[in-house]
Amino acid sequence: MTTARTLHAQLHLLDRQVVRAEDGRMICKVDDLELTTDEQGRPYVLAILAGPLALGPRIGGVVGRLVVGVTELFRPEEDPGPQRIPMITVSEIGSAVTVGGDVQEAALEHWVRVNVIAPLPGSGVETAAGERRPARRGDLTGRLRMSDLIGRRVVDDSGALVGQVADVRLSQDGPMLGEVQHAFRVAGLIVVPRHTGQLFGYERGPAGQAPALVAAVVRRLHRNSRYVTWEQVDVIADDVRLAVPTAELAPLAGLHRSMSR
Amino acid sequence: MRGQDARRALAAVTVALATCSVSGCVSPAWDDHDYALKAGATAQAAASSVELVRLAVQGEHDLTTAYLKVLLTDAAESLGSVNDQFGGVQPPSDASDRLRSQVTDLTSQAEDEVEDLLIEVRRGGIEQPDEAARTLERLGSELRRLGEAHR
Amino acid sequence: MKKVFAVTLGILTAIGGFVDIGDLVANSLVGARFGMSLAWVVVVGVVGICLFAEMSGRIAAVSQRPVFDLVRERLGPRAGLVNLGASFGINLLTLAAEIGGAALALELATGVNYLLWVPAVGLTAWLVMWRVRFSTMEKVFGLAGLALVAFAVALWQLDPDVGELTRQLTSPPPDEPVPTYWYYAIALLGAAMTPYEVFFFSSGGVEERWTRKDLVTARANVFVGFPLGGFLSLVIAACAATLFLPAQVQVDTLGQMVLPAGLALGKIGLAAVIFGVFAATFGATLETALSSGYTLSQYFGWQWGKYVRPKDAARFHASVLVAVIVATALILTTVDPIKVTEYSLVFSAAALPLTYLPVLMIANDPDYMGDKVNGRFSNFLGTAYMILLVVAAVAAIPLMIATKAGQ
Repeated sequence: MTTARTLHAQLHLLDRQVVRAEDGRMICKVDDLELTTDEQGRPYVLAILAGPLALGPRIGGVVGRLVVGVTELFRPEEDPGPQRIPMITVSEIGSAVTVGGDVQEAALEHWVRVNVIAPLPGSGVETAAGERRPARRGDLTGRLRMSDLIGRRVVDDSGALVGQVADVRLSQDGPMLGEVQHAFRVAGLIVVPRHTGQLFGYERGPAGQAPALVAAVVRRLHRNSRYVTWEQVDVIADDVRLAVPTAELAPLAGLHRSMSR
Repeated sequence: MRGQDARRALAAVTVALATCSVSGCVSPAWDDHDYALKAGATAQAAASSVELVRLAVQGEHDLTTAYLKVLLTDAAESLGSVNDQFGGVQPPSDASDRLRSQVTDLTSQAEDEVEDLLIEVRRGGIEQPDEAARTLERLGSELRRLGEAHR
Repeated sequence: MKKVFAVTLGILTAIGGFVDIGDLVANSLVGARFGMSLAWVVVVGVVGICLFAEMSGRIAAVSQRPVFDLVRERLGPRAGLVNLGASFGINLLTLAAEIGGAALALELATGVNYLLWVPAVGLTAWLVMWRVRFSTMEKVFGLAGLALVAFAVALWQLDPDVGELTRQLTSPPPDEPVPTYWYYAIALLGAAMTPYEVFFFSSGGVEERWTRKDLVTARANVFVGFPLGGFLSLVIAACAATLFLPAQVQVDTLGQMVLPAGLALGKIGLAAVIFGVFAATFGATLETALSSGYTLSQYFGWQWGKYVRPKDAARFHASVLVAVIVATALILTTVDPIKVTEYSLVFSAAALPLTYLPVLMIANDPDYMGDKVNGRFSNFLGTAYMILLVVAAVAAIPLMIATKAGQ
């Protein structure tokens, strides 16, 4: 068996464009990821979440709350959730995330087309104004979101602060999704000491070395960053609690060698 | 995100300052020297407009009427606003009064001259471009001299 | 012939970026005040924009991802939103100024007040974006903007003192204060490297459906279009330095700026230049209006582009429409369009690093680029420009305050 594909959630999945497989039409961004746990209690990625209800919490602050608030105001259901695209429909992860099948279009797109674009001459929209889009049920459960995991504090076995989660490493060896695809399962966490900023992919070693000055600046900022394997995690509660002392954690630089690409 | 708040505040201040400098808030003159500096700047600005009109008048046969009209209207407006702004500054002493009349005499003459030319252009063309150019040249160089003297 | 037309995207981008209303006046103003002593900034700007436009064009051809997509992907939703806010605001101001500029050009041609032309310009621009195909649009307005080459002929006719112009290259006028000199240097750099140029250029590459096979076309666009834009900037500055600097005339309107062409070439030259100014500002109107739709859609992941029917990119077309309406309304308040762009140039200098850093990073990312990642030379220059842009961004707003915006 070949080694499982490894990805970093923040770097390779979050904020990428989602396109439709059949015609390359753009659907949305990967605004967040929904996680669930397998029998051993290890999280894996179940679905892509999109839309303002997924993006808002990630922006945070007043703006983020406003985005969520306004969206909820216009959604009919009691407890609306973001749009959910099951990982099983994902056929390719590259510079964009390609999904097969039919994804329901966003509510705003529909509203704008019917109420703004259709009345303009030459729009080519035949639908009559006032046409309603089939309502979508808020289909989110209270499962873990990737953005809840990223940014969470990490403490070691003695309760001493290690830092916070900057990225989540995933490997494609989780439970089967449907017939042919393995789920992306959490393989480990990249933990950075303070708010040292993003890694921008420069943790990947040889593949992310240029330009040298930028790489050097990012690496210098992250000299105290650590890589935590899933086996070293004790429990994920308000904080991520580790089963080992800080001293046993591998430095992030060690990840370069283990990364296949 | 304290840095962002600070940035936003800075931006707000900048916009406020920018609006002020665009709309040309005229500050009062504190003393004779300050007043003289303002007078000099006014003369320079007026000289620039006058010289521009002189260039256009000399090359009048190369320019279309519509274009000349727009150019002279702009120049007349800018001379007018320079005049108004300077006229709004209170001269601090008797010595400054003399300077004030020197500058406003010239800038008003310039404004009148340009407005006369504008009327001629609207009627079909400048009648005596050479003479107009000479007048403008004289006004321009006097204004320039005044500007150079107080800087 | 097909090959000739293939570079019109670059020409339209560059004409809209380099000789739009703000730059036309800024170049003329700088030429009249500082002679040719700021010409080096234009050269630095041309090299910089070529460098980053080449990267973004290459990324668009290899991975089909335009620049603002990359901004969000690499900087994340928060920093991406800050950049979106800044870029969108600057874009809207610029759009307002371009509509005003096109209307001013019509005023110069007809003598009818520009405010009467503003609604017509706004409506026509929107109709073009709504109905006309992207490739037709870029050919017509890119090539029409070339009428500005008349400035080069005018410069030759004015018979400038070449020795004097050359001397000015290295010696700024002694009576201008140093901060003012640097303020204008940053404004010119901001003008040459305005972010909407790469937004438009890379999105245009996707609209044209560039693939790996079109890398040569992408490069040709960059290396023909932008140097041409820079050349026109320099020629305009030289005209002003020849005619206005000796007479100590300060340039601050569009009408004054075209005077050298009229005096040197007569009515026909004047007409050609006014036509060129109209084409350039109208092209820039399209460029900035589409860019506001591009940035917004690419941040949120909406379907965008003129290559699909409007009904399939409803939110994109609606954003463009709203941007045009807001900008038209803004200019109808009689705010001076030229002042608007002079400020937006400086603000855009402050936003430059946030746009170009992700481009530099992705151009090095083999996940996106495969074997087409940056070479050493591009990376060396790219790093140098990042440092330069950070310095310019930090200095821009303090200098603006210190010099009272260059007065």
